[in-house]
Amino acid sequence: MVFFNSVKEGAKKGLETTIMLGKIIIPVYFFITFLRHTPALDFIAKLFEPFMNFFNLPGEAAIVLVMGNFLNLYAAIGAIKALSLNPFEVTVIALMLSFSHSLFMETAVVKKLKVSASKVVLLRVSLMLGIGLLYGTLLGGLIK
Amino acid sequence: MMDILEIFKEASIGSLSSVWQIAIIVIPLMIIMQLAKDYKILDYISRFLKPVTDFFGMSKESGFPLLIGLIFGLSYGAGVIIQSSKEGNLSKKDLVLLIVFLASCHAVIEDTLIFVAVGASGWVLFGARLIVAIIATYMMSKRLEKVFSLQEMDIQREVIKQNI
Repeated sequence: MVFFNSVKEGAKKGLETTIMLGKIIIPVYFFITFLRHTPALDFIAKLFEPFMNFFNLPGEAAIVLVMGNFLNLYAAIGAIKALSLNPFEVTVIALMLSFSHSLFMETAVVKKLKVSASKVVLLRVSLMLGIGLLYGTLLGGLIK
Repeated sequence: MMDILEIFKEASIGSLSSVWQIAIIVIPLMIIMQLAKDYKILDYISRFLKPVTDFFGMSKESGFPLLIGLIFGLSYGAGVIIQSSKEGNLSKKDLVLLIVFLASCHAVIEDTLIFVAVGASGWVLFGARLIVAIIATYMMSKRLEKVFSLQEMDIQREVIKQNI
């Protein structure tokens, strides 16, 4: 039966893929969970605070960008909720983060495809800064 | 000490549940993909996406991984890409272009909706990501074309030299 063979073959490939991804996800997940409980992220965010103005964002928005990039989008959303940002600021942050987020996790997965991890990170961070410049700095400047 | 145990517990539960979430999507996805391949539906999907893959100068086999990554996300896309690579259907150029596209634009439904939930404009987000991904991939494709044709010229030059 073609049907059962296909299902069996597909399930095997699915399981293989899950194991392959699991081997990447579990260690990275441990790493970022520990990272979240250290003061490292707050420290990095403090360094970036002065630059947030450039994108027409308040300094405290730095923690959202840092959490989104180092941890994941859900952590960033939690941080957005904790701040009082206006709809324009939320859109700027969301635009920036949609290009670059969960860098540890997603880069680890992409590395499996044998491409240069640093080039992928460079591309994503450049796109994040580019869109921040276009939408936050330029459009934000015009609105003001 | 208690803290470290707590963090360890959090990481264990969190990572296992992430893997579980991947399993319940990736296993059915691979079964559907296999069925689609064996019943020649995958060819039909590839043909449907051919204008897109042609535009980026990719092989038509890149269409399906592109679609999966775009909708479901980078991990699932990578899973499908790896399976396709194993079967030898993707060239190095396909791989690079797929990654350029998916690195900037993936999991559009999930990623867009989480931001809409906190008040961002979904259409602005989705539109910007799609447009940027298309431009970046197209530019990369033109650059790779040049690289490959230069390499070819080098080979031809070598052949000419040897003949002389």
